[in-house]
Amino acid sequence: MKNPLIKRIPKELKSEWHKYLVIILFMVVMIGVISGMYVGHDSMLASVYENVDKLNLEDGSFELSKKASDKLLEDISSGEMADVKTYYINKGYKKADKEVAKSIDEEVDKQVRTGIEEAVRAQCTMYGISDEALIKEQVDAAIEENYDDALKEAKESKEYKEAVDEAYEEAHKKVVETVDEEWGDVAKRYDLDNEDFKERPVTIYENFYRDESEDADNDGTEDATVRIFKSDSKIDMASFNKGRAPETEGEIAIDRMHADNLGIKIGDTITVGGKKFEVVGLLSYVNYLTLHESNTDLMFDAFGFDVAMVTPEAFDKLTARVHYSYAFKYNTKPVDKIEKADFSEDFLKVLMTQSLVGDNELKDYLPEYLRQASNFAVSDIEGDSTGTSILCYILIGVIAFIFAITISNTIDKEASVIGTLRASGYSKGELIRHYMSMPLIVTIVGAVVGNIVGYTLFNTVAVNLYYQSYSLPTCHLAWSNTALIKTTVIPLLLMFFINLFVIVKKLQLSPLKFLRHDLVKSKRTKSRRLPKWSFLRRFRLRILFQNMPNYLVLIFGVILIEVMLCFAFGLPDSLDNYADKAPDMMFTEYQYMLMDNEDDDGNIIETSEESAERFGVTNLMYEKDGGSLRTGMGSGGDEKVTVYGIIPDSAYIKLGNDVKDGEIYISSAFAKKFELKKGDKISLHEEYENKSYDFVVAGEIDYDGGIAVFMGMDSFNTTFDKDEDEFSGYFSHKEITDIDNQYIATVITKDDILKVTNQLNHSMGGAMDVFKVALIILSAALIYLLAKIIIERNEHSISMTKILGFKNSEIGALYIVPTAIVVVLFALISFVVGYYLMVWIFKIFVMQMDGYFDFYMSAGSMVLSVVYLLIGYGIVSVIDFIRIKKIPMDVALKNVE
Amino acid sequence: MNANFLEIKDLKKSFGTGEAKQDVLRGMNFTVAKGEFCVLLGPSGSGKSTLLNIIGGIDTPDSGYVSIGGDKLEDMNEKQLTMYRRKHLGYVFQMYNLIPNLNVKENIEVGAYLSDNPLDVEEVITTLGLQKHKYKYPNQLSGGQQQRVSIGRAVVKNPDILMCDEPTGALDYNTSKEILALIEDCNKKYGSTIIMVTHNEAIKYMADHVVKLRDGVVRHNDINENKISAFDLEW
Repeated sequence: MKNPLIKRIPKELKSEWHKYLVIILFMVVMIGVISGMYVGHDSMLASVYENVDKLNLEDGSFELSKKASDKLLEDISSGEMADVKTYYINKGYKKADKEVAKSIDEEVDKQVRTGIEEAVRAQCTMYGISDEALIKEQVDAAIEENYDDALKEAKESKEYKEAVDEAYEEAHKKVVETVDEEWGDVAKRYDLDNEDFKERPVTIYENFYRDESEDADNDGTEDATVRIFKSDSKIDMASFNKGRAPETEGEIAIDRMHADNLGIKIGDTITVGGKKFEVVGLLSYVNYLTLHESNTDLMFDAFGFDVAMVTPEAFDKLTARVHYSYAFKYNTKPVDKIEKADFSEDFLKVLMTQSLVGDNELKDYLPEYLRQASNFAVSDIEGDSTGTSILCYILIGVIAFIFAITISNTIDKEASVIGTLRASGYSKGELIRHYMSMPLIVTIVGAVVGNIVGYTLFNTVAVNLYYQSYSLPTCHLAWSNTALIKTTVIPLLLMFFINLFVIVKKLQLSPLKFLRHDLVKSKRTKSRRLPKWSFLRRFRLRILFQNMPNYLVLIFGVILIEVMLCFAFGLPDSLDNYADKAPDMMFTEYQYMLMDNEDDDGNIIETSEESAERFGVTNLMYEKDGGSLRTGMGSGGDEKVTVYGIIPDSAYIKLGNDVKDGEIYISSAFAKKFELKKGDKISLHEEYENKSYDFVVAGEIDYDGGIAVFMGMDSFNTTFDKDEDEFSGYFSHKEITDIDNQYIATVITKDDILKVTNQLNHSMGGAMDVFKVALIILSAALIYLLAKIIIERNEHSISMTKILGFKNSEIGALYIVPTAIVVVLFALISFVVGYYLMVWIFKIFVMQMDGYFDFYMSAGSMVLSVVYLLIGYGIVSVIDFIRIKKIPMDVALKNVE
Repeated sequence: MNANFLEIKDLKKSFGTGEAKQDVLRGMNFTVAKGEFCVLLGPSGSGKSTLLNIIGGIDTPDSGYVSIGGDKLEDMNEKQLTMYRRKHLGYVFQMYNLIPNLNVKENIEVGAYLSDNPLDVEEVITTLGLQKHKYKYPNQLSGGQQQRVSIGRAVVKNPDILMCDEPTGALDYNTSKEILALIEDCNKKYGSTIIMVTHNEAIKYMADHVVKLRDGVVRHNDINENKISAFDLEW
């Protein structure tokens, strides 16, 4: 026989449908949104990862000044360094040989001519000829006649041969000496003698492009620079979000994001390089997920830059300079970041030496792992799920809380029944299972429906958020383990254990205690003395005291609501706040990063700008405690720290005068994020090398713009094995105009910072709105459930007061007013608690991402978060009053529990 | 008939400590034979409900013991006590304690589920005269009808002992008599031992065995040779 108690469950669901509907809706919205975010997130990442193989993403690329010969490509593919020394010697020999040969020829010619002339003059003297003109005539005739024979004779002479050998030997010796002398510098500069070098055989693919001008609306003005690739490329291919690849000369496929931004649609005609093309496809190149024109660009630009595909024929007819770009893939794959760095370093040597020997010039080199255009978006998406996770955990906690109190109330309400069942022989286990089933069923229903909604409705929300920012490929719905675990397994487990805990604890009591309703241990033997107030006021106070545990639950719930509302309002506010403050956070108007501190001729790059000040910079990593949740293709788990070398008495960064070696100042953001203070020891390590540095914090620099450390310039150069006068760039208050652009890697100005924050807002703003709406709905649902519990608990008393003749309005005043007082009073306190809880939660959130920003709520948002709660409660009070009116009088009369 | 089926020996129980200490049972001794209809009679505070709870295994004595069919309850752990109640006892309370969202039939099934050899639910419903009400919920029934259901829930287990704690305490005269008649029927029809706690003196006339309690001790322990039917009771 089945346990007849099972039959209660559908009946309970039916009779309490509004309560369970609210709970299920709550879970569906919560799980739906979170599952949707995860599914969208995971699907997007899955699509990106899938394309890495499918679209043959490079391991790196390089550009040469001219088309490489087959021999050169073959040599580079071998992964071996060319013998540059021999190359230089041979080259020197050739040059020296030419010079030696030239001077010997000149000398022999001179000697032969002199010999013939001397012989003719001797003969003339013998025949008494003294007419100089005649003698010259005779000399010329003799040279004409005998030169070749004489030259031949001279060259065959032993003397000549000896002299020539000697000259060549001498010249070659000099060449070797010179090369030997210079080789040391060259080898050191390019680290060519490194014994750790390993051969890195690769497969090379031609991936030429042209940067043409794009006129999207054919109005004669350039709208963007478009990078054109050929449609037959076998590397770094594109996926098509819409349309197809170009098939004829007049067709072009362009980047989807760029097309979106400029309003270009399939079928439109655009002018590229002066030629008209019909747009036949919107694509996403696997190596251009963000439109970074140059890898040193601080931010991508999907408006002013575009990537496109045309047929090889159309490509050939375009006129802009061809960039002889080649992409490569290692024949043996590097397994991790450090190996990628090692491989890349070795391969760079291969490229430098082979291109030199192969009579070509290396113009550009970029390993894929450093490529912003393919890593920026992925890194961002990978880190993106943190906000969702936090929201998820807050809400799971809220749901578990709701269930725990619901179950606890049900058990209190059914105390006599439980006592009777236990007295009749029902075991504790049977009753535990019985009371566990409802929350588990509701969670399962909520999770299943929520996941369905997440997979079908909300996943597009997340995907669209990413599409708004990046040139991502078409996203195929992927099964997300994370979504399943976080939205189904964890809530189920949490629900299971919290309820198990509450139920087991509640059912510990003896059957007799249940039968006697003796469920709460109270030490109080007498009632509290109340002041001599009016009867109703005292009655109300009694209700307040009696329901103290319920009000504690209500207060806890209100705090949870405030946490949710602070999250809903605070997150967008914090982003706005960061965007507002970011430009002021820069410690300089202009920050010029140089490619090198020397120009091509080896001269130090100087500027006449008076406010300019040299600085050194490098990036290290700070290991977060307990690691991070982030792994994968992007920037990884550790925190990136910018290390600045600052000159003494800097006008920009005030370091103390007595900073010793090994001492550093840290930015206030760094200090806040990791709770570091003066005197703390920190260890920073290289991202791509197994090398770490220990420092002592000497102080704090008020700079919230990033995770940075500052040290003296000398100390900086010594620590990082740099030359004494080496530096990385200039800080400047004014624009520097006298440094050639080719030496400047990046210039960071306030506009760039604004671009970053705007992009951040653009990328996250949509998610914020979704969170906000979801949280406001959930808060309303929670306050409804909490208020309902208080009325339910007092149903019996309310019924009794009705019997006694109290009017509904009086009963309302008795039971709703205390709740209202509690809610209003604690709304403010809860806001403060919620706010600080959110600050704390936010800190954990910030720990999961790079950089730092403070949790911030505007005054308006603070007021709104309390007002929303009160409005929500106001509506619930009306519902409560209706509920009170509906409570029948026989509840108190009938002996039914 | 097993004369010592239920044995109560030197049973003592007190509540509270120090000055507030109250001895509820002060050395109680008596036995009940199997199949007997035993009434525990006494004014309120005489310890009869406490005694019933101890016999039912939902309360424990300070000293002394209760043995049923030779098994001492004090030797049983919580699980065994649960099994003891499950297999041997049926409970009827003054408050009916029915499950509000189960109908009459289902409430009776709640009892049947616990038993290895339950009575036929439909038969019990008919016996209790609840045929017309079997699909009603507790709040659609009168107090007497609810108590019938509560008896049904206890009886359907076919228990060795039916424990009744003031089963008519909340009922009117006629309904009380009907309920008592039902309990009497169960005793006769199913041979269950009945232990009924009441303060109603009249009920002793329908019992085989009357134990009168006062101040925690047995004042009278009488066998009623001339018992009358429940319907003939007057009070």
